Amino acid sequence: MSLEELAFLVLAVVAVGTGLAALLVRELVHTILWVSVFFVDLSAIYFLLEAPFLGVLQLGVYAGAVTVLLLFGIMVTRKRIFSRDAATGLGPVPLALAAVTFIFLVASVGEFPSAPTTLQVYDPSALSALLFGTDGPWLLLLGIIMMSGVAGAIYLVREGRE
Amino acid sequence: MTGLPVADLLVLSGALLAVGIFGLLTRRNFILILIAVEVAMNATILNFVYFAAFAPTAAGLSGQAIAVVLIGFAATEVAVGLAIVLALNRIKGTINVAQATELRE
Repeated sequence: MSLEELAFLVLAVVAVGTGLAALLVRELVHTILWVSVFFVDLSAIYFLLEAPFLGVLQLGVYAGAVTVLLLFGIMVTRKRIFSRDAATGLGPVPLALAAVTFIFLVASVGEFPSAPTTLQVYDPSALSALLFGTDGPWLLLLGIIMMSGVAGAIYLVREGRE
Repeated sequence: MTGLPVADLLVLSGALLAVGIFGLLTRRNFILILIAVEVAMNATILNFVYFAAFAPTAAGLSGQAIAVVLIGFAATEVAVGLAIVLALNRIKGTINVAQATELRE
């Protein structure tokens, strides 16, 4: 097993573990801590997959902005931020649905090669040239969606709607 | 140059999607539901990055471009979701989705 495969294995186990921990712990603030570890771990996977641009973006947007936004949401909606969440039953139906999804996806993976494949290395400047270039409306699309999202968010939280 | 098996990577994103679906169905707190959606969304973004990394030509770069756009979409989704959380908290006094059963304010 090469060093990359070992690193990937460790990162994958940490990703699934922290993802599960984030959704199973009772205290909401601990959820945010676990999920921030999850985001940093995914960013490490992006670096491993030769996508440094995405790795940095993941760190900045997810590990930075989204985590703080979620923490802010908890802070505003709770009297004491360390209060516990109500217990949730681990019903058989959600477990079964998640298991069926996982088994179905793993079963469909069989067609792909399981031997190590050499990764394609892209120049980050080529990616930014693609994003900012005239070939596709990527950033324009993103800008329109984000602007309408922000307008919608402001509409939802504005004063005097009760 | 690093080498990784495609199948292992796809198993990881499958597992993350399953974790996200599980969280989406079990939790009742709106913020935890948002986090579950984020976990599932990250699984799909990972898929775009894998297939970009394993594409034999430079055309695979589009996969990374889509991943950049999806990260932006996910951030917007969290912003709108938290706006809904704040509105729900103000109107109902709780962010438990089991208690938000009517559409009128």
